[in-house]
Amino acid sequence: MSNRPVMSRLIYLFVLLLIVFSCKHDEGEYHSVIDRIEAESENYHGTSISSEKYIEGIETIEITEGGHTFLIPERKGQIKLYACTECHTKPLSKMQSKDVKKAHWDIKLAHANKNTMNCITCHNPDNMNSLKSLTGSDIDFNRSYNVCNQCHTKQFEDWKGGAHGKRIGGWAPPRASMTCVNCHNPHKPHFESRWPARFNTQKVKERE
Amino acid sequence: MSSENKKWFSLNLGRKKTEIFGSCGCGKTSGGCGGASSTDQISNEDFDREVLAAIGEERKKDGFDQVFNVKMDRRTAFKKLTASLAIGAGAISTSCSVISGDDTKEKAQIDWEEQFKGNYKLMTPEEKGATVERLVRSYQLRTGKTISMSSKNAEEDVLFGYAFNISKCQGYMDCVSACVEENNQDRDSQMQYIRIHEMKDGKGFNFNEADDNYYHEVPAEGHFYMGTQCFHCDNPPCVEVCPVQATWREDDGLVVVDYDWCVGCRYCMAACPYDGRRFNWSKPEVPETEVNKNQHYLGNRMRKKGVMEKCTFCVQRSRAGKNPACVEACPTGARIFGNLLDPDSTIRWVLENKKVFRLKEDLGTEPKFWYFMD
Repeated sequence: MSNRPVMSRLIYLFVLLLIVFSCKHDEGEYHSVIDRIEAESENYHGTSISSEKYIEGIETIEITEGGHTFLIPERKGQIKLYACTECHTKPLSKMQSKDVKKAHWDIKLAHANKNTMNCITCHNPDNMNSLKSLTGSDIDFNRSYNVCNQCHTKQFEDWKGGAHGKRIGGWAPPRASMTCVNCHNPHKPHFESRWPARFNTQKVKERE
Repeated sequence: MSSENKKWFSLNLGRKKTEIFGSCGCGKTSGGCGGASSTDQISNEDFDREVLAAIGEERKKDGFDQVFNVKMDRRTAFKKLTASLAIGAGAISTSCSVISGDDTKEKAQIDWEEQFKGNYKLMTPEEKGATVERLVRSYQLRTGKTISMSSKNAEEDVLFGYAFNISKCQGYMDCVSACVEENNQDRDSQMQYIRIHEMKDGKGFNFNEADDNYYHEVPAEGHFYMGTQCFHCDNPPCVEVCPVQATWREDDGLVVVDYDWCVGCRYCMAACPYDGRRFNWSKPEVPETEVNKNQHYLGNRMRKKGVMEKCTFCVQRSRAGKNPACVEACPTGARIFGNLLDPDSTIRWVLENKKVFRLKEDLGTEPKFWYFMD
């Protein structure tokens, strides 16, 4: 009669071992690559690879938006005629507008329609050194994305996360991303159509 | 048609065969098959006699004896001895000669060691370094130019992944140009790792009707663009089929080829469901001024005729922290690259926040190349 408890104990032990060893997760045993990524990134400690040396020559500023902290290129130093007040000594309303040659004659606004936008939608007529929001508060040229994100909210979300826009340097941390005006001309933000960079003549012959 | 007269060869194991070896289909050893008179077949004794007269003792000897244990006259023996001596002397003279220069000797030494090196996958870091050193020196001896070649291994906690924004790609093909230049691809055959497919709006991913070699102003009205290249599958079928294990998946997820181990059978090309692999039908040539001298053993080093190659996510760049050339060249930001194991990376944000999909997901190849839309 004493055999019974021993047997049942053995069975319990067997079941226990089965549970423990049937769920092991070695490499190559993940159901999908997503499972693998989730499991392996649980104890991610960072890598020694850095893209710092690739952004050395670029002056950047650090921004934090919606939980994402990253670098964007500094802007004011890239504007040829900054500071604007060196010419715009008085507010726009007091500047001459008739019978003189215009300074920014080459800028033609091709951004939204005339009902929606004109120069002073983004530029502050009273302080030419900075941009302005729709409600009239100043926005620094270095943070011009705050002007864009008033309308382009979806693009702003994607840009913060990294789905919209382009990285500078490399994939490795620290993250440096281009800001809106590095790719889009704010006065004419769409991309021009053009011819492809190359044409494969050999492929044409092979497929004849 | 009688079975003796058939035009195909059958093994006929274990059966008495009266035909003579080396005869043609009609069963005769001499004269044309269409001859008028013929004694039908010869007996077994006659057959043995004929064979003895033709090849003598060699019939009973194995390969070694056939060469070394052969009766020959003195003149033939001397002739053969001289010929083999000349070959041996040639090999020795390049490495030991006082006349030929040090460079020639060194080149012969390098060629010898390169010829008999092992599979890169099985090499220790020191051996990898040594083969890279030899390749750099060999290039220097041949062209007088210095290249830098890396044998950097996969970093821990790195798994490379790629995302492609279909809404953003405009079909400019700047990525293709950058890829060709970065990876020293053959200019004559215009080999390209990347294909940009021009698809009709409303037809979905229809590769049958797509054009991957368009030449007109882009983006074309009513079309969208998507790119394909090697997807660096987590479960790569191309690796499974390689008979010599010249291609494998590295720890950081890159599927790579050892160009010196590849025998050029192209099984992998047939196994890839994404048309991601390319073959060198001719010797790849790149003008000396255009050669990218920043190279990696598994990446863009110069290939030879008859080996496979493919996109490596620019291993020479990505393992150094840079983006692949196509990502850097893309003017629209349609290409996103990064470390899948880093929870804060941009590629992870895309996978977690955008609606992503992959090509032929049902095959179970688990490509690490996702498509998404704005």
